[in-house]
Amino acid sequence: MKKMTEAQLAELETDLNAIRDEVLADLGERDARYIRRMVRLHRSLEAGGRIMMPFGFLPPVFVAATVTLGVAKILENMEIGHNVMHGQYDWMNDPSLHSQTYEWDTVCTGDSWRRTHNYEHHTYTNIIGKDRDYGYAVLRLTDDEPWKPWHALQFINYILLSVFFQWGVGLHELETEKLRSREISWREKLPFLQEFARKGGRQAFKDYVFFPLLTFPVAPIVLAGNVGANLIRNLWSSTVIFCGHFTQDAETFTEEECEGESKGHWYLRQLTGSSNFTGGRWLHILSGHLSYQVEHHVFPDLPAHRYPEISGKVQAVCRKHGIHYNTGSFAKQYSTVLKRILRHSLPEKLAARAGTA
Amino acid sequence: MLARNTQHKALQWLGRQLFNRNDPEAFFDPLLERINPMWVQEYTPARVEQVLFETRDTQTLVLKPARRWSGFSAGQHVNICVEVDGVRRKRTFSLSSSPLLWREQGLVTLTIKRLPGGLVTNWIHDHLQTGAVIGLGEAFGDFLIPEPARPVLFIVGGSGITPVLSQLETMAAQDYRAPVTLLYFVRTRDDVIAREKLRALEARYSALTLNIIATNESEEPRYLRDQDLDAIPGLKARQVYLCGPKGLMDLAQDLLYKRGFADSDIHSTFFSAPAANLGNETLGGQVQFESSRLEVGSEGDATLLEIAEAAGLSPRHGCRMGICHQCSCRKTTGTVINRLTGQASGPGEENVQLCISVPQGPVSLDL
Repeated sequence: MKKMTEAQLAELETDLNAIRDEVLADLGERDARYIRRMVRLHRSLEAGGRIMMPFGFLPPVFVAATVTLGVAKILENMEIGHNVMHGQYDWMNDPSLHSQTYEWDTVCTGDSWRRTHNYEHHTYTNIIGKDRDYGYAVLRLTDDEPWKPWHALQFINYILLSVFFQWGVGLHELETEKLRSREISWREKLPFLQEFARKGGRQAFKDYVFFPLLTFPVAPIVLAGNVGANLIRNLWSSTVIFCGHFTQDAETFTEEECEGESKGHWYLRQLTGSSNFTGGRWLHILSGHLSYQVEHHVFPDLPAHRYPEISGKVQAVCRKHGIHYNTGSFAKQYSTVLKRILRHSLPEKLAARAGTA
Repeated sequence: MLARNTQHKALQWLGRQLFNRNDPEAFFDPLLERINPMWVQEYTPARVEQVLFETRDTQTLVLKPARRWSGFSAGQHVNICVEVDGVRRKRTFSLSSSPLLWREQGLVTLTIKRLPGGLVTNWIHDHLQTGAVIGLGEAFGDFLIPEPARPVLFIVGGSGITPVLSQLETMAAQDYRAPVTLLYFVRTRDDVIAREKLRALEARYSALTLNIIATNESEEPRYLRDQDLDAIPGLKARQVYLCGPKGLMDLAQDLLYKRGFADSDIHSTFFSAPAANLGNETLGGQVQFESSRLEVGSEGDATLLEIAEAAGLSPRHGCRMGICHQCSCRKTTGTVINRLTGQASGPGEENVQLCISVPQGPVSLDL
């Protein structure tokens, strides 16, 4: 990581706080209108998808219904759920858009997400051994982690993780790696498993039992469409999230580096550990503005639709302090993610040789 | 009834499964609100039917709540919810109409005075127009007319008249058979709220004696004094109702105690929250943790999270630096200063992040 003195870090903190304060002072009706518009769009897409689905015996309708429901789930998970649960709209004092009570349309419970994502991941971002989101304890993505033989097949794990992403995220807090090493016991995880079963059951009941049975004669079509919609959401959200921290230049950190760190150091870690991708307005909306991962990690509780507006200022701060601002096209960033997964499936020496060959 | 209840419970359960929320009926509110705001389910919507101008700084809103609203008794208050620049603000006001108007015409009124610097009252005066829809809570409060009839004395100041208007209307309508006296203190004659209505009540309701006293029209301020009470026939037997500024209420209470009135014969209600002292940066205060039934004091810039932990509580929290919102908690009353921005919160009910909120004066938390 780039070395900065405490005085430089303090200056970085001041510069970034100024951007944050400016947005906070300006929060108001425009932001409320934006998020409510997204909620209305989600409700319309979800209702539309569900109503069209039983008519899926006509192939074009099937495609339209599945995509509509898939996009509805993406919008709800990424632009609404994820962002609301970060507290981006708590200031609106609207109980339907409040971080502590929001429950989203996916297997992971809101409570579990708030613990593992809002707290662990956003506080200990990219610290190997503390940020369990770094590789999700399934993938080896840095040479700081010792290579084990099963890493050789990790690309298969990556595909499986993407396909079943909502279940993977839902089970993330189970901490299977700590269960395997007997650091924690199954008994301790019982309350979590109960919550997981309740929410997972609820999601499966809705998409795979209730709506198919409701439209009994065409149940297989509705079931297939709902599976498809969940798959679309799983693949897309997994891809977006992988582009956020696992690109070529996204840095990792050690626990020693970050012990007793200042707010300025935390900012530096967020700036260098995250990566953006570029694209059109709707690509940003459907990624929940995680395409502005850098801005999101620096200011996780500012309304996400503000990230494009402040991106220029964040880049200026990065230039001033000589910090690399990691961005590129979606295709470029994603290809470096895939390379990273492949490269680290081999031990360091072997990968280096393969690289030079 | 039982069958209907079970059916309702089953629907609620199904709704929770499908919409992932404890109030599934509100899932489509954002769409319904666009079509007809009176269809919203999350709160009881109420349409502004008319705005009446009472004095230069007081107006009466005539509201038509959705029919599912449960009604009220004379003297009760409601919380209303309005959205000011994207933020939902809740404030408490007294209902100034009689329950009869609600039963017969489905209407209620709120009489609202501009508070100096008041965010919501000024917004209502400047922006709320006929046709707008606001949120209405259920009525609450025990500032109620004595049943069966007993002699009554109202001592009222300024906009403290609002719950009393509702009570007098109700008493007149049911021809309440006991002497009723109203001592109404106003700054000047121009500040009398609902003058016409009071005159009409006096004319048609013979049990009512009305005495309007202007406090600031002479050289010396003319406050409540012993002679005012002496002039009231059968004072000893009266139930006394106080509503107005703190100064008037304290003074009245003193005079009544001296005459041997018991607390059970004095009924009082506050009509405005004390404003936060923004200029004064003294921090700390009594913090009340309501669910834990615990109250502790704090000094200096200790955060609510630190205060809670020092008191032996372990509220949910995360980063302790204002990032993760794990510790967001409902504040029911009181003012807090945001440690990051130095900004003071409003005095009302809202969510605060415990780890960066420093109390300024007494604070109550739902924790």
